[in-house]
Amino acid sequence: MTTADPHIEHAHDAHDEHGAFSWIATVDHKRIGILYLLTALFFFCVGGVEALLIRIQLAHPNSKLIGPDAYNQIFTMHGTTMIFLVVMPTLVGFANYLVPLMIGARDMAFPRLNAMSYWLFPFGGALLHFSFFAGGAPQTGWFSYAPLSETPYSSTMGTDYWAIALLTLGIGSVAGAINVIVTVVTLRAPGLTMRRLPLFVWMTFVTAFLIILALPVLNAALVMLLVDRQLDAHVFQAHGGGSAILWQHFFWTFGHPEVYIMALPAFGMISEIIPVFSRKPIFGYEFVAGSTLAIAVLSFGVWAHHMFAAGLGHRADLAFAAGSMLIAVPTGVKIFNWIATMWGGTIRFTTAMLFAVGFLLEFVIGGLSGVQFASAPVDWNLTDSYYVVAHFHYVLFGGTAFAIIAATYYWFPKMTGRMMSEKLGRWHFWLTVIGFNMTFFVQHMLGKMGMPRRVYTYPDLPNWGLLNAISSVGAIIMAISVLVFAWNIFVSARRGEKAGDNPWDAWTLEWATTSPPPHDNFDRVPPIHGRRPLYDLAHAGPRESEKTTTRQTLPDVGATAMWAFIASEAFFFAILVITYVFFNLDKSAAAAHLDLKTTGIFTACLFASSFTLVFSERALAKGNASAMRTWLAITIVLGAIFVVGQGNEYRGLIAHGMGASTSLFATTFFTLTGFHGLHVTLGLIALGVLFALARMGDFDDVKHSSAFKALGMYWHFVDVVWVVVFSIVYIRSLT
Amino acid sequence: MNVWTFDPIALAILALAGLAYRRVARPALFVAALFAVLVALASPLAFLARGVFFSAHMAQHLLLVLVCPPLFLASLAHEPPGEAHEGFSVRAVLSWALGVSAMWLWHAPTLCNAASQSALAFHAQTVSLLAMGSAFFWPIFGARAAHRLSTFGALAYLFTACAACTVLGVAITFSPIEVCSVFARPNAIREAWNVSAKADQEVGGLLMWVPGCLVYASCIVFMYGRYARQEGIPSHAKDSSREA
Repeated sequence: MTTADPHIEHAHDAHDEHGAFSWIATVDHKRIGILYLLTALFFFCVGGVEALLIRIQLAHPNSKLIGPDAYNQIFTMHGTTMIFLVVMPTLVGFANYLVPLMIGARDMAFPRLNAMSYWLFPFGGALLHFSFFAGGAPQTGWFSYAPLSETPYSSTMGTDYWAIALLTLGIGSVAGAINVIVTVVTLRAPGLTMRRLPLFVWMTFVTAFLIILALPVLNAALVMLLVDRQLDAHVFQAHGGGSAILWQHFFWTFGHPEVYIMALPAFGMISEIIPVFSRKPIFGYEFVAGSTLAIAVLSFGVWAHHMFAAGLGHRADLAFAAGSMLIAVPTGVKIFNWIATMWGGTIRFTTAMLFAVGFLLEFVIGGLSGVQFASAPVDWNLTDSYYVVAHFHYVLFGGTAFAIIAATYYWFPKMTGRMMSEKLGRWHFWLTVIGFNMTFFVQHMLGKMGMPRRVYTYPDLPNWGLLNAISSVGAIIMAISVLVFAWNIFVSARRGEKAGDNPWDAWTLEWATTSPPPHDNFDRVPPIHGRRPLYDLAHAGPRESEKTTTRQTLPDVGATAMWAFIASEAFFFAILVITYVFFNLDKSAAAAHLDLKTTGIFTACLFASSFTLVFSERALAKGNASAMRTWLAITIVLGAIFVVGQGNEYRGLIAHGMGASTSLFATTFFTLTGFHGLHVTLGLIALGVLFALARMGDFDDVKHSSAFKALGMYWHFVDVVWVVVFSIVYIRSLT
Repeated sequence: MNVWTFDPIALAILALAGLAYRRVARPALFVAALFAVLVALASPLAFLARGVFFSAHMAQHLLLVLVCPPLFLASLAHEPPGEAHEGFSVRAVLSWALGVSAMWLWHAPTLCNAASQSALAFHAQTVSLLAMGSAFFWPIFGARAAHRLSTFGALAYLFTACAACTVLGVAITFSPIEVCSVFARPNAIREAWNVSAKADQEVGGLLMWVPGCLVYASCIVFMYGRYARQEGIPSHAKDSSREA
């Protein structure tokens, strides 16, 4: 985590804005946003070619073009690429570009962290694709179910690269989401209250919470999958006592919020575009915003509807069916709000608006087939068939991708200063609508006829060949539409009509500055009295004179970031703790290996270190530098005693023949305490840096006391985690 | 079967309710709260909760913690609105801990069994559940504005409680161990209704998990709704106050 002050960053950055290196070294949120979008476009082409290969293979029955192994690799890479390397980064890219502009800020709260988040993305993408050269890409599908993903069934390195790539991307996503949260919470322009946030910002903000809470669940599961694969453990393998179903639970605990991580920002885009081109404010802002919260909360509670076929029992199925159907209510609220916004409006069918309206229609189809899947018996019938494929493509392409394309047409003038061609846009729109529906609508029928997904070919049953051929032709039309889109972007960026500041007569703050915006975004942020500041500005009247400069006292940047980070880490540790408890209901293994007394001693040191750190913080507040340094040094020593103590405990256990894979107790014990130990070690390094800074006397300004406070919070959190681990692992088993 | 049970606590609550009535501003919510008390403590549900069905026990438990207290607190007249409390406070942390322990504590096997067997333990459970539930919802719906959390604080408060409740619900649903062995003993009614002890516990866990979480989720949406409605008043003084 770098400095919290964007002003200082800009001083370094503002000198050189030309040449390729300036793009690589940039910490400007707009350039990072564009880098995200261009990289995602590149991966979209990669994933699109994979999709075309799938459709070419399936164009006629009994095709021998692509063998089963290659086919498995292609659909796995297609799904993984589209979700983690296309949809998520595209949405992050738009958020990066737009959130600071829409809230009247100069940059994100942590520009360098922002650059790190971005660079983890191409790095993760490269790791994933490197698997092609390391014995073959993963073949286990985007949700990589155990035990198929375990070594005996997937012996190439593909799944390892898949897991490492997703971990890398996951860390980048969490860092980016923390950045969004801190930016929205602490950098809003005066007058822009939380209930006046543009809906895109609001939904991106809510999504950021989903990311920081859901991604760690996946990360924890991936870590354990890697422990299984690399260290021969059995967490997700039934032979050896593990549980394959546990992987499904963890994956979908992440996977269902993930659906909304990909959908909510798209809803936000639509909520910006439809009002502007209907010349009406959004209908029922509170309902659109509030239903977003409802969706976000519910999304964490319904993962098991992805597991109806796994045999959780009728009772669980019923409860989850009911819970899942409930999500249709807040989603439906949104659809009706968008329609009501258009109702009676002066609609301008620009390409952006066409895609927004297309979104409404296609997304409703995907939503309705989704409600069908919420019913367990229907799900049993249709799961793993092409009906599922049709359903989620209507949600993710008909929904999210349509919204992203609409957003591209809408915000392209702001990003480049030039309009996209409306003529090419119309070609793009109709080719997309025709190609998309041709490709995927027929797959509903194929699914009902029983065609299974993820199988490389199919027999020549009545109508299967015809419907698949239609689908494949549709895919080619879609590919052409993408070429038109790419050509439109390329040509318009060079020769498009000049856009001016506000070509659409829109109302939100990003349109108040030039296109493209200057380095620091705004010369002067317009006064904000409501949800449509530019509309208010144009129809200003008496409000101009009112007092608008009242400073909002916004929360501390470092503390906000640390709270978000702690929330994320808490979910990570919760999964490790749950796994430990799940496999160690029987306490005898722990009782046989662990020793309460010695661990108790170094545990006491760790707890004491929290208090000494508080003393150090108090000394800093009083300006007593030497007392501060002394308490800080004691804290570091106490923390070090804990790490050494734990290392010694490990040494003893290993000497007694206990390794990561000897038993599930050993695996879960080492994973849980090991990750905690890693966190303590990292905390010690950070404390050491603080101590060195304090020794150099560089500790007077406010910035460092904010960093001190944030680090203190982290240290206390690590202690609290140990309270939980110590009670569950040691006290529970040994008393 | 005569299944409407007499419960001294329910009676005491009704009597006390008469005293509290002068402070009630929203009678409909007040009546709903009392009705929930009656359903929980005197209806056939209460009969089934005494050692017959674990799921009935859970329904009773949830009514006492998650339904009666918020309805009752919301029915009372509020002090004139003032500054809501900001950020972290010991009171809020304590309330949260009480609300979550209301879920966890009484499902420790020993306590759960005791409450279904001894009348004294059962009454202690009833009173403590109502008290802990009220403590939990005080920072959300309480009458003292100074004790209420800011909107975004309340969202975090409710969401984390929901997560804690979900973990327990999941554990009870899928746990191979009986949470309350009393309910696992053969009993005539459960066998007559052809419900296995395992199914019974699963339903109990699911009740805590899904409808339980729905209460928190509804409170979250309600809190946001209350927050969003305040925008209607075009007051700059309000907007300049601290948000987030």
